[in-house]
Amino acid sequence: MIVGIPKGLLYYKYYPFFTTFFQELGSELVISPDTNKDILDEGVKYCVDDACLPVKVFHGHVAYLKDKCDIILIPRFMQVRSREYICPKFCGLPEMIKNSIPKMPRIIDKPIYAISRRKLYPWAREIGRIITKDKKKIKNAFNTALIKQDKFKLGFNDDSQQLTVAIVGHPYNIFDNYVNMNIVEKLNRLGVGVVTEEVVEDSLIDEEVKRLYKRPFWTFARNSYGFASNVYRENKVNGIIYISSFACGIDSVVIELIKERIGNFPFLTLKIDEHTGEAGLDTRVEAFVDMLGREIK
Amino acid sequence: MKITAPHLGNVYIAAKALFDGLGIEYIMPPLNNKEALEMGSLHSPEEICLPYKIMVGNYIQAIEKGADTVLLPGSCGPCRFGKYAEMQMNLFKRMGKNINFIVIDAPGDIGIKELYNRINQISRNSRKGKAGQIKALLRAVRVMNLIDEIEEKAHYLAGYEVNKGECKKLLNSCKRDAMNTNSPRDMIMVLEEYKNRLDNVKIDKGKNPIKIAIIGEIYTIIEPFSNLYIEDKLMDYGVATKRKLTPSWWVKDTLLKPTKLNSLKIKRNAKKYLSLGVGGHGRECIGEAVLAQKEGFDGAIQIFPLGCMPEIVSKVILPTISKEKDFPIMSLVVDEMTGEAGFVTRVEAFIDLLERRRKNVLSWS
Repeated sequence: MIVGIPKGLLYYKYYPFFTTFFQELGSELVISPDTNKDILDEGVKYCVDDACLPVKVFHGHVAYLKDKCDIILIPRFMQVRSREYICPKFCGLPEMIKNSIPKMPRIIDKPIYAISRRKLYPWAREIGRIITKDKKKIKNAFNTALIKQDKFKLGFNDDSQQLTVAIVGHPYNIFDNYVNMNIVEKLNRLGVGVVTEEVVEDSLIDEEVKRLYKRPFWTFARNSYGFASNVYRENKVNGIIYISSFACGIDSVVIELIKERIGNFPFLTLKIDEHTGEAGLDTRVEAFVDMLGREIK
Repeated sequence: MKITAPHLGNVYIAAKALFDGLGIEYIMPPLNNKEALEMGSLHSPEEICLPYKIMVGNYIQAIEKGADTVLLPGSCGPCRFGKYAEMQMNLFKRMGKNINFIVIDAPGDIGIKELYNRINQISRNSRKGKAGQIKALLRAVRVMNLIDEIEEKAHYLAGYEVNKGECKKLLNSCKRDAMNTNSPRDMIMVLEEYKNRLDNVKIDKGKNPIKIAIIGEIYTIIEPFSNLYIEDKLMDYGVATKRKLTPSWWVKDTLLKPTKLNSLKIKRNAKKYLSLGVGGHGRECIGEAVLAQKEGFDGAIQIFPLGCMPEIVSKVILPTISKEKDFPIMSLVVDEMTGEAGFVTRVEAFIDLLERRRKNVLSWS
């Protein structure tokens, strides 16, 4: 059985788990290529126009895969931390795909509660059964996949340059280089090092979010806020760049909360959508870096 | 302490009954209006949803009249509404206004003790004893149920009335008279009287009006200002409308949520298309669309604010229901830029379509 894995949304964060799991089960894998213009165009064509860019891109990846595999993984991430959510669109992602893209092959849409090993295992058991009858094999695949995921380190931690900037936002905006137009490379070329939320320990993030009146109930909002607040307080960086997709409901809240927290600290919001022009983005990034450079002089 | 609360449809009538009953001083923001929206948009982040902007406008207008405390329900669901309170607190701090926020959250999120504390912040200002306070609360609930019932009836009977505009006139004078009363007891009497009067409205049972279900995001369908008074307009057109989501439904749903026994019928009907909750009232929207078709409605109109995350998911699913069940559904997105003319044109075109379908001159999809 050929399993298709779309390279979109939380793929960037959790691909070691999914790829290892299906490989260990003995199924063939097709992974869509890095996002490119064709994929984006397909996504925009199929997806409902009110959705945000990452969801549209994901639709594009699925459309690319749909004739190339027997079954497609549409991860319905419900929770990755207890009592927190990701985003309402993640809970309804399989429905969005099923109702927007015609002639879909079979899909894997069982909800994923990645809070603990115990909560995640039922997902693996049920999905594994589609591919193999061997229970032991499923268990082994699950364990190996989890180990791979644990060993996997994502993110940037480059403070070797003259200036350092924290890049904040959802992982699928930070690590999809087509969508963010190679922002990290651009910054490096301008002599700016990049750090991302993975450098700050979880316990420190918890400490930061305690400041909030209301406990944050979106995992990535919590991470973004905690990270931004931490690097600001400990003065780890010269400035913060928030990469936000247009019409992202969560970003509209988090950006406000971060701005409230950091006051006059240098902060740039880069809005991205399917119409973003590279020249405009370059200009804004360059201007921001110029400003940071002048500040340290 | 002068308490105020944002508007949500007819809740202001029940709020008046509650605070009158408790004997607490309160300031009602002026009914939603253009200035409230403009002021709200001015002080809100650009991409936040419409309800937030209107609510901020409500507070500002109430503060101008002397309010210093805001009462607001909360949530910790995946929908943005849960974060409103915090952002609005920050906003008023930034504006240099000392406003106290009382946020009523579910006990699961803040602990039963904290919830009790927060409720106590309100009730300790009441001159009434415990028994009197509970009585006031029960009366307010009664008022809310009554006004919701009256409104539902008026919206539905508007399609059958013999004297055009009678239901609308009754509904409007009912709200006016209820607001002119001085005690919750009088208010309940007024509402009961209007309920009877509505029952005696002359109707033509032989009529077969167009019937439309109003579904979608709860704030924008309950609060008439945000949807450009679509229900009033449909009443004028002689269309019978029905909307399942009401403030009294919301209270019941929220109280029953921990037991998972809330809105079973809606969940059952939504199951085929959306089996899990997606936050807000996305699943309810799907369930209601299916139910409306079963109940013999001609069509449904979904309304939601721009960028509403749960409703975007339901908007994707609705065309499938529409195709499978041969049931027209229109989605309308509202925000602070919505122009009335364009909005009305779409509603009128939709009604035309429903009328022509009955004559079998065209088929949907």
